[in-house]
Amino acid sequence: MSTLTKVLIVLLTLTSILLCGIVVTYVANAVDYKDKYDALSSNYQAAQRRADNADNQFNKLKSETDQAKLDLNNQSAALKERISSLQADLKQAQIDRDDARRKEDGWEALVKDHSKRLEVNNQLTASAQAELKQIRAELTKEKAEHVQTTDALMDKMAIIDDLDAKLKRLLEEKTELQSQLDQMLRQYGKITGPLEPVTAVAEPVRVAPPAKDIDLEGLITDLDLKERLAEISIGEAAGVKEGMRFHATRGEVYICDVVILDVLPEKATGWLELLQEGAEKQPKVNDKVRTNL
Amino acid sequence: MSPALQSRGKKISVPDNLYTVILAVAFVAVLATAAFVAYQCYAQYETLF
Repeated sequence: MSTLTKVLIVLLTLTSILLCGIVVTYVANAVDYKDKYDALSSNYQAAQRRADNADNQFNKLKSETDQAKLDLNNQSAALKERISSLQADLKQAQIDRDDARRKEDGWEALVKDHSKRLEVNNQLTASAQAELKQIRAELTKEKAEHVQTTDALMDKMAIIDDLDAKLKRLLEEKTELQSQLDQMLRQYGKITGPLEPVTAVAEPVRVAPPAKDIDLEGLITDLDLKERLAEISIGEAAGVKEGMRFHATRGEVYICDVVILDVLPEKATGWLELLQEGAEKQPKVNDKVRTNL
Repeated sequence: MSPALQSRGKKISVPDNLYTVILAVAFVAVLATAAFVAYQCYAQYETLF
């Protein structure tokens, strides 16, 4: 092997070692651009997403702002209407206040007037109370007199009761006597005249009222000679009463008497008395009956 | 001739195996560098070239 070859081997070895060291150093210290790219790319994508989010949020915020603006406009319009109505109410309230003030002035005048009247009334009340005391004193006195008068009245009432009892008894006696008198007169076709009060005043003796005729007249409508009964054409409506005596006639001839036993409104039934002998003097239908001959 | 003269007249030479070793070292260095560079390229860019 020649010297030159050996020298070249040594130089080649040294240069290769030097170059290898340089290359290793360079490669070891070289920048990793792929990592840098990846990092920047991820940062860019993140920034893009943030930008999109920001745009979305901006749009959302903008829509919310528009809606809020619209709401505020509506509220503003409503508040304006409310303000106008409140202003109208305020005007009405001012008018009412003025009216109330005027009424207050009127009421003040009225209260003053009433105060004056109240003073006058108080004075009148004081005088009335004084008069009331006086009247009460008089009333007490009058009550005492009233008690005395009541006692006297009670005594007189007792006397009046006694007199009433006597009067009642006398009236009963009078009624009984009157009925007896009527019955007696009725048998003879007479009744008593209107009563006139008889006073206890001393006066000359008076004649009793004269008896007058009843003057009832009718016809015999039915006969039952076996039972001696007759029915006449007048009754209670004409004034016929039980116990009345009618005289039956035919022309100018006396036939008999009819004493009334039962009275109906339009007819009456009686007992035949004083019948006479002879067919011509027997009562017949359509014979006249009258109370007075 | 004495041994000393003999030794003084003889040139000192390096055996040839030494240069083979030197070439082998250079080859290993270049091969290791190439492998390192390839590893770095694959690690960083996921490709050898």
